[in-house]
Amino acid sequence: MSTIKYANAVAAVKAMENTLLTRNDMEQFINATSKAEINSLISAKKGGESISSENVWEMIHEYAPDSKELEILLYKNDFHNLKAVLKSIISGRSPEQYYIRPTNLDLIHLFENISAKDYDSLPEFIRDTAGQAYRLIVDTSDGQLTDSFIDSATLKAMQKSASEFGSEFMKKYANLITVCCDIKTAYRLSKMKKQKNFLETAICGSSELDKDSLIRETLNGTESLMNFLESSSYGEAVRLLNESPAQFEKWCDDVIMELAETARMKSFGTEPLIAYYIASEAEEKNMRIIMVCREFGADKETITERMRKLYV
Amino acid sequence: MNSLGITLAIVGAVCSALFAGIGSAKAVGLVGEAAAGVVSVDPSKFSKVLILQLLPGTQGLYGLLIAILLLSRVGVLGGNAVDLTTAQGLMFLAASLPMAVVGYFSAMAQGKAAVAGVGITAKKPEHNGKGIIMAAMVETYAILALLVSILLIYNIAI
Repeated sequence: MSTIKYANAVAAVKAMENTLLTRNDMEQFINATSKAEINSLISAKKGGESISSENVWEMIHEYAPDSKELEILLYKNDFHNLKAVLKSIISGRSPEQYYIRPTNLDLIHLFENISAKDYDSLPEFIRDTAGQAYRLIVDTSDGQLTDSFIDSATLKAMQKSASEFGSEFMKKYANLITVCCDIKTAYRLSKMKKQKNFLETAICGSSELDKDSLIRETLNGTESLMNFLESSSYGEAVRLLNESPAQFEKWCDDVIMELAETARMKSFGTEPLIAYYIASEAEEKNMRIIMVCREFGADKETITERMRKLYV
Repeated sequence: MNSLGITLAIVGAVCSALFAGIGSAKAVGLVGEAAAGVVSVDPSKFSKVLILQLLPGTQGLYGLLIAILLLSRVGVLGGNAVDLTTAQGLMFLAASLPMAVVGYFSAMAQGKAAVAGVGITAKKPEHNGKGIIMAAMVETYAILALLVSILLIYNIAI
């Protein structure tokens, strides 16, 4: 049965793939003379709908409401929202404007439960992290350390969920995200010359990039870390990081999209649904890049260079 | 009268109608799910996906045909059941198996191919015919099994 799951959802997603933006559309947006022109082009392509991963998630969730496997896609947002709640509790400000949607969490309950230190009422995947992060920020008042702890916990939760509920595709997805984040974190922390304790909290580790080795090389300095990473299977990507972190970021997004593309030919299972969500995220990111670059007067060539790979 | 012989022949007819029918029902349902997914987004594709949904339904009809032919051959339908030996009964049971087994599995396989065809229709409706042809290829094996079952049923000496 598992091999023929979600036939309905996958077929619907395939019908909706026709409204995804193509490279030609992106070029039209880049060449557009005004924001109004971009908006009218989007409206024409999307049939009046806006580009929003929240809408896409709602649709996917409607078609596959019981899929635990899909929840992993929102873990990044969920753990970000946990950070927002902790900061709002410490600062006494409302967290509403810092929330990212879509999310697996009921944000009102998240705030209430953490405020009341009632972690048991939270979903299992975030329960322990919420309690530990709260104690960490209260004990150390170190926002950076707490953020790093939560980021690392996000990756661990993704790996755990992928191995519990996920297919091979999902495991690869969780692994790629972990590797990309670990490389970025290790590189940044090596530049900041952070101590071992901090690194142990911030780096997650994966089957491809072992946590202990990453920490050891990071402690030895950026050059040692880069040599270590260049000898790994991510050598080419790490050379991009050496040139510019923005290029490495683009590589990370593109490699996730390449993984998503492998699901395009499938007719069953959650993979095409996940791929469609990833495609909608890439679309959103590309639109943000175009808007920001235009705002800052970047030339068309620079904008094109920064464009992420698209699904169609 | 050797009742075991005729019982075995009837079991054969039941198997043929039952397994081919189950296979078709599951497959048509599966393609229906996929078709509904497409129609929920684009109702104009209803007629195109409907053809794909019908394709895996044929195995159920073949199973029914074999059951009727077998029951007719052994006289059950006319009310004059032939006095079959156990060996003859077993032969009729064996004759029904190609349609029962191949019918079930080919219906399931055709259902999956038709779902993939629904995907083609969803993304590129102008290539809908290719999806139909690909799914229809699976039909070949159901037809071969149908032929074998018919040949056996009419050539068993009674």
